[in-house]
Amino acid sequence: MDNAFLSSLLTALVLGIIISGIYALFAVGLSLLFGVMDIVNVAHGELFTIGAYLAFIGIVLLLLHPLLALVGVIVGSLAIGFGAYFLTIRPLHHRLGRRPKAPVYLVLTLGLSIFLQNIVLAMAGGNFKVIPSYISGTTNFLNLVFVSRYRVFIFLISMAVVMGLFLFLKYTRTGLAIRAVKENSAAAQAVGIKVDQIYLITFGLVGVLAGLSGALLTPIYRVFPTVGAILTIKAFAIIVLGGMGNLVGALIGSFVIGISESIAVMFISTDWKDLVAFAIMIVILIIRPSGIMKGE
Amino acid sequence: MEARSLFVLLSGVFFLILPTLFPYPYLLDTLILGFMYAILAASWDLLSGYTGQLSFGHSAFLALGAYNAALLTQRVALSPWLAIPAAGLFTGLIGILIGIPALRVRGHYLAIVTLGFSEVIRLVAQNWLALTGGPYGIHDYATFPGFPEDPFLAKHYFYYTSFGLLVICGTVMYWICERTSIGKAFKAIREDQVLAEALGINTTFYKVLGFALSCFFAGIAGSFYAYYVRLVSPYLAESVNTVWAIGMVILGGLGTLIGPIYGAIILYSLYQAMRFVGVVYNLIAVGAVILIFVTYFPRGIWGIWDWLAKKSFLGRHKSILKNFSKNSG
Repeated sequence: MDNAFLSSLLTALVLGIIISGIYALFAVGLSLLFGVMDIVNVAHGELFTIGAYLAFIGIVLLLLHPLLALVGVIVGSLAIGFGAYFLTIRPLHHRLGRRPKAPVYLVLTLGLSIFLQNIVLAMAGGNFKVIPSYISGTTNFLNLVFVSRYRVFIFLISMAVVMGLFLFLKYTRTGLAIRAVKENSAAAQAVGIKVDQIYLITFGLVGVLAGLSGALLTPIYRVFPTVGAILTIKAFAIIVLGGMGNLVGALIGSFVIGISESIAVMFISTDWKDLVAFAIMIVILIIRPSGIMKGE
Repeated sequence: MEARSLFVLLSGVFFLILPTLFPYPYLLDTLILGFMYAILAASWDLLSGYTGQLSFGHSAFLALGAYNAALLTQRVALSPWLAIPAAGLFTGLIGILIGIPALRVRGHYLAIVTLGFSEVIRLVAQNWLALTGGPYGIHDYATFPGFPEDPFLAKHYFYYTSFGLLVICGTVMYWICERTSIGKAFKAIREDQVLAEALGINTTFYKVLGFALSCFFAGIAGSFYAYYVRLVSPYLAESVNTVWAIGMVILGGLGTLIGPIYGAIILYSLYQAMRFVGVVYNLIAVGAVILIFVTYFPRGIWGIWDWLAKKSFLGRHKSILKNFSKNSG
């Protein structure tokens, strides 16, 4: 094994870990939403796309400071999450009451996804948009792996946000209430937790996570209206792998998918790269539908 | 005769004489593909509306049917009339292969795994150059023999072929779902799988059968598409086609089978009519239709009919009238 091969293998590994950070930011929210509301949000990727476009508007069009633009992205995705919740999720929730809701919400969020995706297409056009990287320079590890500083930055930010989310869920009262609703919404309601309010908070929070991941990833990827839809399917693979509703599982699943994709590219053509995640997912669903983690 | 059967019959007669009344190629083209989508939507409804197994991967079955038909005609020169049922059977077989592992998963998981399957099919179609022609697809194959060269006249032939396929497939699916014990088993599984099992229904068999039948008809829709459009490309497997089918079913009425057929014709006509406004807006419209109907009119157009009948004067007093006639009789 020569040095060049080792270097490219390690580079692939490090890039895989970095992309996994973004996957985690995106997929943990999707898994949380499933755990709390029993909804698989097909429109999760559209919140990612909208976050990316908001970052583009902030940084490239309005020439804001990147951090200020990120704050704008957070506010914007929160508003869109709340809007989607009030206009679509809540009326249906009230109409259904306590009836099982699995398929209906899937179809609803599918409609939401198509709706938002094409609104973005109508407003922004189908062209690729590029945000220049606002942190320049590269870092090297052991003189073998060279990674741009920006990638290191997004990895650190995304991990910090995911850790923040875990701490929030573990140590705050609202976090406790969210976990209670996730465990058993009827019992949570019985002890006086306002379930509607928790749903709203969760939906907003998850929207922010998706929007933020979109905004962070854009200087590496180009922005186009269906960028999020591709990621949604990948995130499905991740949360299935980790066990749906299991946040730690989603975090681990992100790293499994991110790293195996990045390594696989060294051996197979990039055209087949996206297949890796789906292949892992289908095999997991057939062998062990509950995911790699124990139980839900 | 019930009002609804009369409506179906009258609309059937209307579509039969339509080409002589309004022989506009654009209108015919819209309806030819509208009928094709109607078969696809009805096949989705058979699986998801009747057995309750949510499929997000019907575009894959559409694409499989289309590629199969195109390849059969291109490679072994099989007549389209034989290739259409052959493509249906092949897709049905794939449906069984998907249906058996899918038995282990339900609800969200099934939707996700079928979505993943359609992406796999799309990627294979895009990258297996030797068989599928890659992103450019397959285009050099014959269509139905004996169809006139004149494109305008050929449109009429395609129209009646498409309509005939829709009538045959729609009738067979309706008959299976509403007039046989298979349909009853499907509905029992949808309502409560455990209870259905306790009643002695072989749920494994019926769930796989649902997949096989649904994929069979989706494959037929795809193979007709192949002979009409004469270009088969990976676009067919894109999930947007599944979204179309679901939108049509939701508009028409989930679990009614006839409703989705009208839903498909309406939504596809809307799509074509909105071409003049802008191509982007029609998918916004599809999204909005899904959002509004799922949230506020979950039973679709076909269900609104019931609702209107109940609200109308006669509907409200039906029971009174019935009692009255019983007492006086």
